[in-house]
Amino acid sequence: MTFVEKVCVLGAGSTKYGKLSESIADITTQASVAAIESAGISPKDIKASYISNVFGVADKQVHLGPVLMSRLGIPDKPSLSIESACGSGSVAFREAYANVAAGFYDCLVVTGVEKVTHTGTEWTTTYFAYCSDFFYEGQAGASFPGLFASMARAYLTEFDATEEDFAAVAVKNHNNGFLNPKAHMQKKITIDDVMNSAVVASPLKLYDCCPFSDGASSVILCSEKFAKENGSDYIEVIGSGRGGSPAALQGREHMTTIPSTKIAAADAYKMAGITAKDIDFAEVHDCFTIAEIIDTEDLGFFDKGQGVQAVREGRTALNSDISINPSGGLKSKGHPIGATGVGQVVEVFDQLTGKAGARTVKNAKIGLTHNFGATGASCAVHIFQSV
Amino acid sequence: MTVEEQLIEYAKQGKLLTHKCTECGYLHLSTAYYCLKCGSKGFEDVVLDGVGSIATYTIITVAPAGFEKYTPYAFVILQLDNTDLRISGFMARIATPAELPVGTRAHITGFDERGIIIEKQ
Repeated sequence: MTFVEKVCVLGAGSTKYGKLSESIADITTQASVAAIESAGISPKDIKASYISNVFGVADKQVHLGPVLMSRLGIPDKPSLSIESACGSGSVAFREAYANVAAGFYDCLVVTGVEKVTHTGTEWTTTYFAYCSDFFYEGQAGASFPGLFASMARAYLTEFDATEEDFAAVAVKNHNNGFLNPKAHMQKKITIDDVMNSAVVASPLKLYDCCPFSDGASSVILCSEKFAKENGSDYIEVIGSGRGGSPAALQGREHMTTIPSTKIAAADAYKMAGITAKDIDFAEVHDCFTIAEIIDTEDLGFFDKGQGVQAVREGRTALNSDISINPSGGLKSKGHPIGATGVGQVVEVFDQLTGKAGARTVKNAKIGLTHNFGATGASCAVHIFQSV
Repeated sequence: MTVEEQLIEYAKQGKLLTHKCTECGYLHLSTAYYCLKCGSKGFEDVVLDGVGSIATYTIITVAPAGFEKYTPYAFVILQLDNTDLRISGFMARIATPAELPVGTRAHITGFDERGIIIEKQ
């Protein structure tokens, strides 16, 4: 594949993640403005927007793109809304990436957003289940925690792992999120806190699960030429990959691995000309503790069945062998589903441009983002390098 | 009838309707329109006894709308005997993991507002 342009992330911004009172249109705009100001550009430099969102209907606003562009004073510019369940953000990023790489646009804004906490747990549990293969899964009473719990049960059966090991992922991510002022759950927890929390879907307990969050994240993507001429600090996108898996868990040969992650990662590593060993830190899709363990294996950081041992030994903690989810991940930072994939890029940008404060991964040069939809039925992986 | 309606009719009789590729013989659930292995579109119907063993499962205590009155219940994935196929379903009245070890023998017994119903044998 040949590209016309090298693609850079020139600016990034997020709202706080959590229970927000502002409207979905407001938070979409706030994050976008933060990204524009971070980039040191004017809205007039932006040629188009890519918006990732799943449940805009919950806050009475779909077709968010034109609303954002109108508020930015550029209503004549085109926009595209993208839905790929919890992986929407990384897909929007990928589409924007492809358009800059192909030379269609030299400067774009990618903004992900979700606003659902006002609807309550029953609404979110019910509607999120619509992201499954509904005929086989949601219709039979599967919730999203239930689907990942089914993977967790398979992992416990197949490998040397315990529920306490899963809990250790949550503790580690809360340690990181404690250092992130934008995190939804900015507090430390213990293994006992996780083990004693209410069972949601056995063997997963409340603190094995990420929270339902509101929030918005935004990045400015541009050509290298534009970045050099117009902006401030930037990082380069050096790898981009996407993949798919059978939509229902029942269709997968193994239920302790996510095929789309492996496919997306292989593509991204190949494009970047590197391997998993070259990654300094990664923001991975830890919607549930079991997911992070599976992700770190599928991304090639650890052998199959060894991800759990790595967590046990603290090898994924901040500034250890490989810092996994320095932001706190979906688990502690929060999971506004349309925003998450973009929010991961915001974290990588902050890390590689010296803006990550107390949670800085020391001497980091290369960061990876991994974001999937549903139980990993769709996935995108991106790799970034400091300049 | 649609492919989903056909599958439901068989499930109500405790059976599973599958599609066997006429080119390569690969077996699919009957919602498949093209062969996963060879891409061909020709299938013959094969009706299986919906019998097998539990491959994995979860016991759900926080339920989606409509399922609150059934909690706790299990969402299960059944490995069908003598095939590589699995099918998901609803299993009533399971409260603890001790009641449903992986490998437990089970079978399809029906279909209703809870989707495909699977019970222990």
